[in-house]
Amino acid sequence: MAIIEEPLALTSGEQHAERPLGVLTRPQANGSWKDWVSTVDHKKIGIMYGVAAMFFFLVGGLEALLIRTQLAFPESGFLSADVYNQIFTMHGVTMIFLFVMPFAAAFANYLIPLQIGARDVAFPRLNALSFWVWLSGAIFLNTSWIVGGGGADCGWFCYSPNSGITFSPTNGVDFYAIGLLITGIASLVSAVNLAVTCLNMRAPGMSLFRMPVLTWMLLVTQFLLAFALPVITVALLLLLFDRQFDSQFFDPEAGADPLLWQHLFWIFGHPEVYIIILPSFGIISEVIPAFSRKPIFGYSFMVFSGIAIGFMGWGVWAHHMFVSGIGPISVFAFSMATMFIAVPTGVKILNWLATMWGGKLNFSTAMLFAVGTVTMFTIGGLSGVTHSLAPADTQQTDTYYIVAHFHYVIFGGGVLGLFAGVYFWWPKVFGHLLDERRGKIHFWAMLIGFNLTFGPMHVLGLQGMSRRINTYSSGFGFEFWNLVATIGSYILGASVLYFLWNVYKSKKDAPNLPAPGPDPWDARSLEWSIPSPTPEHNFDEIPVIESQDDWWFRKYNIEDDGSVVRISSAEDAAQKGDAVGVHLPSPSFWPLVLAIGLPLIGYGLIFNLWLCVVGGLLTGGAIYAWVLEPVDDPDAGAHGHDDHRDGGDPDGELATVGAAGDDMEGED
Amino acid sequence: MVKTIRKREKPVSDSRTRLLGVLALIGLITAGCAGDAELDTLQPQSNNARDIDTLLDRVLVIAGVIGVLVLGAVVYMAKKQRVKSYDGDDEFPEQISHNNTLEIGWTIVPAIIMVVVAVLTTVAHFSLNETEANAYEVEVEGDSTSWEPKVVVVGQQWWWEFRYYFTEDVDADFLDDPRNLPPADIVTAGQMVIPTGQEVELLVTSRDVIHSFWIPALNGKRDARPGFFAPWEISADEPGVYFGQCTEFCGLSHAKMRMQTIAMDPVDFQNWIDEQMVPQSAPPENADDPVSRGATAFLANCSSCHLVEGFNGDEDIAAAVVSQAAPNLTHFASRTTFAGGILNTYTEAGEWNRNDISQWLRAPETVKENYANGLPDGELPRGMPNLGLSERTISDLVAYLETLGEKPSAEILAATEVE
Repeated sequence: MAIIEEPLALTSGEQHAERPLGVLTRPQANGSWKDWVSTVDHKKIGIMYGVAAMFFFLVGGLEALLIRTQLAFPESGFLSADVYNQIFTMHGVTMIFLFVMPFAAAFANYLIPLQIGARDVAFPRLNALSFWVWLSGAIFLNTSWIVGGGGADCGWFCYSPNSGITFSPTNGVDFYAIGLLITGIASLVSAVNLAVTCLNMRAPGMSLFRMPVLTWMLLVTQFLLAFALPVITVALLLLLFDRQFDSQFFDPEAGADPLLWQHLFWIFGHPEVYIIILPSFGIISEVIPAFSRKPIFGYSFMVFSGIAIGFMGWGVWAHHMFVSGIGPISVFAFSMATMFIAVPTGVKILNWLATMWGGKLNFSTAMLFAVGTVTMFTIGGLSGVTHSLAPADTQQTDTYYIVAHFHYVIFGGGVLGLFAGVYFWWPKVFGHLLDERRGKIHFWAMLIGFNLTFGPMHVLGLQGMSRRINTYSSGFGFEFWNLVATIGSYILGASVLYFLWNVYKSKKDAPNLPAPGPDPWDARSLEWSIPSPTPEHNFDEIPVIESQDDWWFRKYNIEDDGSVVRISSAEDAAQKGDAVGVHLPSPSFWPLVLAIGLPLIGYGLIFNLWLCVVGGLLTGGAIYAWVLEPVDDPDAGAHGHDDHRDGGDPDGELATVGAAGDDMEGED
Repeated sequence: MVKTIRKREKPVSDSRTRLLGVLALIGLITAGCAGDAELDTLQPQSNNARDIDTLLDRVLVIAGVIGVLVLGAVVYMAKKQRVKSYDGDDEFPEQISHNNTLEIGWTIVPAIIMVVVAVLTTVAHFSLNETEANAYEVEVEGDSTSWEPKVVVVGQQWWWEFRYYFTEDVDADFLDDPRNLPPADIVTAGQMVIPTGQEVELLVTSRDVIHSFWIPALNGKRDARPGFFAPWEISADEPGVYFGQCTEFCGLSHAKMRMQTIAMDPVDFQNWIDEQMVPQSAPPENADDPVSRGATAFLANCSSCHLVEGFNGDEDIAAAVVSQAAPNLTHFASRTTFAGGILNTYTEAGEWNRNDISQWLRAPETVKENYANGLPDGELPRGMPNLGLSERTISDLVAYLETLGEKPSAEILAATEVE
């Protein structure tokens, strides 16, 4: 990548058009709310991802509580069948696409540049675009409650032909299809951006195999996204064509095979599981070593098993279709493939245990969540093995046993891990700790609530309770465990509210408490070598990496006899965050404008094609303005540009981050 | 008798192995709390279901042991290695970053475990797929015929139809279009009847969206996919009523799409065939007789969708609903369930269930949500519409329906009650 290696920058004072077309200027950061909507800073974008995802966590959680309230008692009339079907559909869609994925994206955005020693992602404006497009898609999806005649009622998997216009005549499914197409654009853009960042923006000496495990897992995730999203995009477009333009891709009466949708959906849908789980695996691979006071055990096995999961994840999709009628040989092949994905997963679990083994375990809140992740995921993984037995799966599939399984994987393995990350990196992001005492209450409440909610579902499923039923009759033995699960879900809901209370209180109490310093956990990766909260420019100078866990080795030395000797305090070794004259990419409003155009096109497809014209003009205009807007903010003195050299950069973004990656070393 | 047989305890060795693991514990809780769970997957009553259950039990033991080891290791370390904080303490444990032998070892060990699981699965999978239904002698209208025991199972929103062809060579070519199947010897709804001790082949299909046919005690499930006939099979060791539930989400009233399989011993099964083959005749006309008035009301209100063979035609009717079919009501009173398997035709006392049947005729949407009323022009209903019948018409219809077929045996009626 010559463009990166050769620092591209403008000579200080070089004349360039400040107002192309006479109107376009580059906004400046000035401390107002506009900083947030025009920001291209990966940290601000990461925070916005986190906040918005947390909002949708509450929305999806509310939907979950409605589901559990309806199912608390047999023959309940709390929700009608129609509303129930919409709510369980939107619960799944919201939790997967609007909570777990963007919440993981929050970590990816915030931490990848910090962990590899970069000042931003490869394409900062694209990064802003990802966020705004995702948010516009998320809002679009949920407006179907208001203007679409209700949410989609086809389940998150939306099998044809039940998703067709005949069987789902409201606009809910249109909102589902278009909403997920829009959020898909966001994920795809972000995947390319972050993968390029990992591959090209690493600090000197930060070879691929010195990258922290989290960054590795996020990199694998980006590749999964990049290859999985096109498949669901195709499927959603076909579905949309069927519904809006009377095409017949999924119409059995016209000779279509409903299996087409299932294959397309699960070729996306299964890698999606690893898209959800791998970031969490990465997070706990950072947390567990820090609180065991040991390096991660078997770094290369951890990385390669993550990659192996990423690859094998593509060969198991039809295990969602063991009863669909795909033939005994296909069933057999996918059954075998599914079993053997347990091997790299097992390696990961054993390596986490080995990391803890012999370590000095400090059960901070983050560590509790991380260990909770390992154990709960183990349960989910083992029940997953029982599904891989194709004959047994014919009994289990579409029962609550499956619901139990995937919640142990996605919530137990995914969400608990993300919360470990929240507690771990909170001081780095916000400059104060989350209260540990309240954090531990949060953890235990969440763990107990989670197990009470989803543990009984194993029993219910084996007792034969079907999934996606809005009610059940008394007499099948479902009453007791359903009630337990509902009680558990309220505890789980309360634990989330308690977390928000902890966030509020910790923020309020922060001024009276000592600042956490750059490295409150005595951790190992680069983000802890800079002040908390992270300065806008991340690194005063780009570190030169000499080993894995480079930051730890700046604090400690391992003597010949194996003992560890401190050679520097974290405060002394850390950067001060006081550099001046660091060139950062300039803000831009155009990603936001572009993102606003997309849902308008969506509404247009559903309600009135003229809206498509408006949306198209906004989007197209924003793309033009994006291309033409000047490289820099108009007041070139604001950031100090004394480090510029001539480069003729057409965009201005590669220049700054390129400089950050390779050029800053000798300059400051 | 029917019930007691189904409640048989699991073999002792089975429950002993299950004790070994954590997941096994869940199995015990299940068995303990759900002695009478009619849909329980852990109380198999057929060869196939038993093979599946045995496979699951073995793997649950393996999974349970692994689970206990992992959780045990975590608990052990949490007890032994816990420190309160690192404050003022730069003591570090030994900094071990890897051990290739160990790691290769624990890559291979899970692989070996999975090979064991894979072998168990492979054996079960192929033996299950090799089960074949043997020809079965039945008497049809006095002639003995060799029935290749096959039942065509058709799902639609939100009920199941079962079609018996005794003299035809039933395959996808013969059946051709799921929405326009050839006339069958016997057609029932909500309830399938099979002989005991006999593998019966099912050809599962759908007339609208995807459904899934599942009788947990007798076998796993199989999706009913529109346009295709998915092969599946079922058998039962003992006579009894076995419950099932549609398990593929199929729209609004998915929860209320249930079905039953009644297994009868060969003599009873033959009797059932004989009885079902008798066409129904019109009751003698008599304006004072509710049955006669009910028959007239049936012709006026129901016969454009529902068929009573021998009374309102002998061809299938293309009902004016999306799936183009409504339950065939021939010998309706010989079934113990209606409305898609959610209501019983007879009360616990064994009486004709006037209340539920009346309510179903009066306001079906209150029993089971549907899309049959107040639809935009040109949109076909899905489900039973509310026809605005008068109370008198309803009671006449209920009286007429009671005359359609013979009341099932007391054992079957008792077994249909879900406690």
